[in-house]
Amino acid sequence: MIETGIPKLDGYLHGGVPEGRSLVYYTYPGVAGDVFGMQTICHATSNGRLGVYVASSTDPQMIRDQFSEFGWATENYDGRFIVVDAFSWLIGADSQERYVVSDPEDINSLTQCIKKVMEEMSEPGIIVFESLSTIMDLCGESETLDALEEWSQYAMLYDHALVYNFTAWPYSEETLLHVKENVCNSVISVGGITGDVVFGQYFGVLKVDWADLARKSTLFKVLKPGGIRAYIPKILVTGPFDAGKSTFVHALSNRAVSVDRLGTTIALDHGHVDRKGFAADIFGTPGQERFDPIVKLLSGEAMGIFLLLDSTNTADFERGKRMLEITKSFGLPVVIVANKQDLAEALTPEEIRRELDMPADVRIMPAVAATGEGVFEAFETLVERVMEVD
Amino acid sequence: MSTSEMLGKVLAGLGKVGEIEASAISTRDGLLMNADMHAAGDPETFVAMSATMLGAAETATSELGKSVPNRVIVETDDGKLICMGAGPKALVVVMTAPDAGLGLVLVEMTKAAEKIERLI
Repeated sequence: MIETGIPKLDGYLHGGVPEGRSLVYYTYPGVAGDVFGMQTICHATSNGRLGVYVASSTDPQMIRDQFSEFGWATENYDGRFIVVDAFSWLIGADSQERYVVSDPEDINSLTQCIKKVMEEMSEPGIIVFESLSTIMDLCGESETLDALEEWSQYAMLYDHALVYNFTAWPYSEETLLHVKENVCNSVISVGGITGDVVFGQYFGVLKVDWADLARKSTLFKVLKPGGIRAYIPKILVTGPFDAGKSTFVHALSNRAVSVDRLGTTIALDHGHVDRKGFAADIFGTPGQERFDPIVKLLSGEAMGIFLLLDSTNTADFERGKRMLEITKSFGLPVVIVANKQDLAEALTPEEIRRELDMPADVRIMPAVAATGEGVFEAFETLVERVMEVD
Repeated sequence: MSTSEMLGKVLAGLGKVGEIEASAISTRDGLLMNADMHAAGDPETFVAMSATMLGAAETATSELGKSVPNRVIVETDDGKLICMGAGPKALVVVMTAPDAGLGLVLVEMTKAAEKIERLI
């Protein structure tokens, strides 16, 4: 198995792409699809695999620059990152690469070069095509489709995994269908969604022939540096006054801002989290009742909710439950954070469950927001639940 | 063209008004839909705060039984921040240059807001 390095995706694919198999990132126009192939090859090479990148629409040096913009230093991969230059000839430039396609407009010339690389690779590795669509534009649709079969056979012979970036430009219906259904062992669709008003990008598995198909899609965001992250546009942090909501948001976030006066949030806390392949924007609400209109305003379109409670302050627990109602959180994944566990009189999560009369399937997690203890565990639990809902 | 791209076009149109330095469209509850920030800070936080501001202003005026505000204008030494609703679901917010003429900006923003309302 060669991992794709895309969060969630390796789980859907039961570990990644097996040697000798192929995968295509089938991207709809207007969505940043190239990054998927880039992230896959960088993940593989940084884990010690051999990686070949077939450059068809960008100058090899520019490609290295693009990779480093994402924080992937290809020069550190000790020669395990190989570029096949199928571009320089097009603009009449000289090439510094070891593998150069002598005429990228001729599919046979490309096939010859790709076969040569596959033969000369010292061990099974991964071959990523920067843009299958560009190859189609240059060499013709049916010619390219025929060549794909030949490449797949050869890859199988040498146990290399093949990964293609493909943008679904208006090619013939037949070609698009062929790429979507027949050409590869696995197809990942990458598209944009226009929901009610929220705009996002998602990926999902359309086809996989070595594992059960998980019909799930994951929202993602492209960070620079960083690459692809599974993304949750809004997680709400709510709870009664002085429960530690702002402290929690700041402990969790890579960067965060607060609108507060005298230590009390009056508008909102806003933070970004980027952790273990997941990114989220965190909205912290005020806790005092007089700000309830703001809480209502901010809670729309949240995908998951943290309810923060001061474990020592049972008097405010009712207010906490009330805030779940105000935020219209019914049906959304909720994690209750039993904060201030470091104080002597703090109730345990189970005692809090009894006080609140919460069913057993609601997660109540201990934390000390002031020191950051338990904060990320709570985050990972909630993210897991939000992603399950997809 | 996708809705997102069309919203981008509306913002690009606003950007042609020389005095507008940054602009963004978000949902009323503070989720970013599109932004034209010219690298002037973080668009997600910018729209979250703008949505809160507009929402708080609406609550404040309706608390006194007055109608909802047409816009919120914030004046700073470095420029003006103007935030207005674009239909019931969205809002548009811009940051202008310090000496920007408010009249022209408001006319252009109102036009943009009408377009946005019809796009979503």
